[in-house]
Order: sequence, then C-alpha cells, then structure tokens
Amino acid sequence: MKYSYYPGCAQHGTAIDQRISVEAVFKRLGIELEEIKNWNCCGALHVDDRTTRVGLSARTLAAAAKGLDIATPCNLCYSNLMRANTALEDSEIKIRINGALATKYDGNTKPKHLLEVIVKDLGLVKLAEQVKKPLKIKAVPYYGCLLTRPENKFDSPENPKSLDYLIAALGAEPVKYYYKTKCCGGPILITNEDLALELARDLLLMAKDSGADCMVVTCPMCHLQLDAKQKAVEAKYNIKIDMPIIYFTQLIGLAMGIAPKELGLDKHLVSTDIFIAKAGK
Amino acid sequence: MQKETIIPESKDIAFRDLIIKTPGGKNIPTCMQCGVCAGSCPVSHEMDYTPRQIVRMIQLGLKKEVLNSNTIWICTTCFSCSVRCPRGIYPTELMETLKPIAMKEGIKNRNTKFDKIFADVVKKNGRASEFLLISKYSISEPGMIKQVPFGLELMSKGKLPLSIDKMDDLRELDSIFGLGEKTGIQEKTQSKEKPPEIKENDSDSQEAEK
Repeated sequence: MKYSYYPGCAQHGTAIDQRISVEAVFKRLGIELEEIKNWNCCGALHVDDRTTRVGLSARTLAAAAKGLDIATPCNLCYSNLMRANTALEDSEIKIRINGALATKYDGNTKPKHLLEVIVKDLGLVKLAEQVKKPLKIKAVPYYGCLLTRPENKFDSPENPKSLDYLIAALGAEPVKYYYKTKCCGGPILITNEDLALELARDLLLMAKDSGADCMVVTCPMCHLQLDAKQKAVEAKYNIKIDMPIIYFTQLIGLAMGIAPKELGLDKHLVSTDIFIAKAGK
Repeated sequence: MQKETIIPESKDIAFRDLIIKTPGGKNIPTCMQCGVCAGSCPVSHEMDYTPRQIVRMIQLGLKKEVLNSNTIWICTTCFSCSVRCPRGIYPTELMETLKPIAMKEGIKNRNTKFDKIFADVVKKNGRASEFLLISKYSISEPGMIKQVPFGLELMSKGKLPLSIDKMDDLRELDSIFGLGEKTGIQEKTQSKEKPPEIKENDSDSQEAEK
C-alpha cells in the first residue's frame, strides 16, 4: 500500500506528537507514505477568498504522484481537498484555476484521511492482527466536524462509526458519546477564546461523565483545543478534568506494543502517564 | 441585545441576487424558516442573528444588517447546519461567501485581522507556521500577551518551533493568490466612510480595537 502524503502545516508544529506516531505506526503496518515535495498550506479556514483556497488545494492535488491517492492526517486539510475536488467539477472554475498552476490538475486525485486509510483500505481485520497488547481501557471516539462534513463520503456526518470500530479492534471499549461530531471550537480559538473554551468544556465534561480513560481524536486542531487548552478550560470554569487526548495513531501504536515515547505521548500537555499505565496492563 | 427595526429602505435586491449566485446560495429562495440550521449550530447563542435569520435577511436583501452581524465571524465552520438543511442550503458556505464581501465593505474585527495575516503568511511562505501567525497577530492585539505562558508551555514540548516553515519553491503562490478578488491579502483597504463597527459581546476586544 502506498500513498502520496500531505502532512499539512500542523505536523511541523503543534501536532509533532501526531507526526511521530504516524511515522512509527505506518512503517510497521507496511503502509508507505511518500511525502509530496514542496507541498503548500491548504488555507485552513482562514484564506477567505474561495477561489484562492480551491487553488491552494488544487495545487496539492496536482502534485500527488500519478496513480496514488493523497493521504492526510488532518481533518482541515482533508476537508479542503475534498471541497476543492467538488468545486473543480465546475469546468469554468477548473480552467481558471489550472491557469494559475504550473502542473495542471485533472480532477482525479482522491484525498483520504489516515483514518480512512486504516479502516477502509487496510481494514480492521488486518489491523487487529497487528495488536500485541489489547488495550483494556474505555475511550471516547471523537471525530470532530470536518472529517465527515460537508463531504460525507466515507462515514456518516451524524453518527459516524469508523473510529468506534477502530477502538474496538484494538481491544478497547468505545463509550457512547453524544458529542462525537460536535465542534471543539478550534477554528475560533485565537479570535474568540471565551466561546472556544466553552465548546471545549462541554466536550470534555461529557467525556469525563462517560467514564472514559481517554478521548481519541483524528485532527491536530481538536488535539490542540482539547489537550493543550484543557488547562485553560479548567482554570476558566474552576473544574478538574484530567482527560488524556490521544491521537488514533497513538492508540494504534500502543496496541501494537510501540513504546509511548516513540508515539510522542510525552509531548502532550495533559499527562498521559496514568492512561499509559492502565492501557499497558 | 437591542436590534434596530428593519426598514424597507434598507433592502438591496442586487445584494440578494449576488449571494444567490454563489456556491451554497442557489436554494436560498426556497428557505422555509424551519430553523434546523439554528438548532444545529453550536454557537448560535452568541450570534446576533442565527443562521436561519441570516438566510431570511438575505432573501430580503438586507445587506447592511447581514454584513454587520457578528454571525459571519462567530461561525466555526462546522457544517452541522449544512448537512441537515432540508432545502439543500449551505449556511456555512454562505458565511464563507459573506466574509470577503464584509471585508471589502470595510468591516474590521479580530477575525478580519487574523485572516489577513494568515493569508499573507501563506502567500509569502507557502505554509502557515503557527509561531509566525501568532506573533504577527499579537503585535496588533495587546490582549494576546496573556497567552505567553501558554506559548512557552508549547515550546517546552517542541510544539511551537521558532523556525519558519517555508516551501522550497514559492513561484506558483502569486498566481494562486491572484485568482481571487484579493480580499484576503490586501493589507490596507481604507474606505472613505468610517467602517461600520461589528457588534461584539466581548468588552476586552472592543478596548483592544480602540
């Protein structure tokens, strides 16, 4: 299995833990991720001009190696690539955008989130074969917004199940979680922190109530918001949460018996020690 | 929140027709005001008009009211409304449509500031280094000083590198950013009239704006 790999900007910064775990896990699973040379930012949710943003993603899609799908670890990048493909179905826009690109885009590159690569392409049966240490923990499956919306091509936008199944395949118990696709507030963290923290608080309290040992996330933005900003939520609302936020790639790595440090679990702001001890029992 | 009575004179039919032609706008005339969008929205309680009201206001051509609402900037782009709308309207897409239009009309707030910086950083480097974004934004937002301990904590974990992440070859970026109306990258668009101020609930930010 081989993919053109589009890491996205966060992998070089706040999502370094995810990057470390992706490298460790995918190599061992025999999935080759060939990084796109000279890739560019997708524009996230902040390049407001729509055509420019489609142009940024079209350039990335055009840069994928011929015949390979693009894999990405980030919900935002994934949704921008998907939305660009939809926008480029309009031939007028496609001509206009290709006019700005050195390598023209034919519209045929398929973007996939790494979760889709694992669940759909590799398959959970094969993943389960790699499990050396079934995880005896309860985990919240948290999908975030942009994995399944607006282009709900690989899982339901209302009640997705792929991450639930993945957690179960690793021996852990996915808990029922009503907010699995509710927004974490990440996109407004910088400009409207009060409201962003309010959204994060709701998610974290619901996770705590579920009795879970951790929340499993698929997106660097969700991780930043729920892990790095968890202390700010605790301070603002005078509550104690202590909920480890684990990338799904880290969870896979733990079940495969990979050392926590090799998965970047020492780089979280919320301590993962108790969680790791429990998962390793 | 005190809302002004809407008077018929504020109708702008050209505005309505412009929005209907944009992505996600085609079905605006079919909106039946069911309110699924507002009920699905995780942040509608902070908006001065809910997405349902915004759609109705677009139908009525209330340009000034729509562009001055904080709704456009409160939206977290989660698309909950968009996947549920029974009429196939994409309110999220509408917010994205309205952002550059509002910026062109001279609306200024923390979001317009951050988005301009973001687009500028991507245009110049091809990638969005978080440290560069935050430090540029903080220069004009003194309130950000209280985030310094958070920044240091991220740094201690190697999560906020000071080096600027840059593409090897930036040549295509100028033409890509030239594609649009350039609303996201113009540093200084001065309108002659005093720009209408966006209503903000947060008193902190109002002080920062002054």
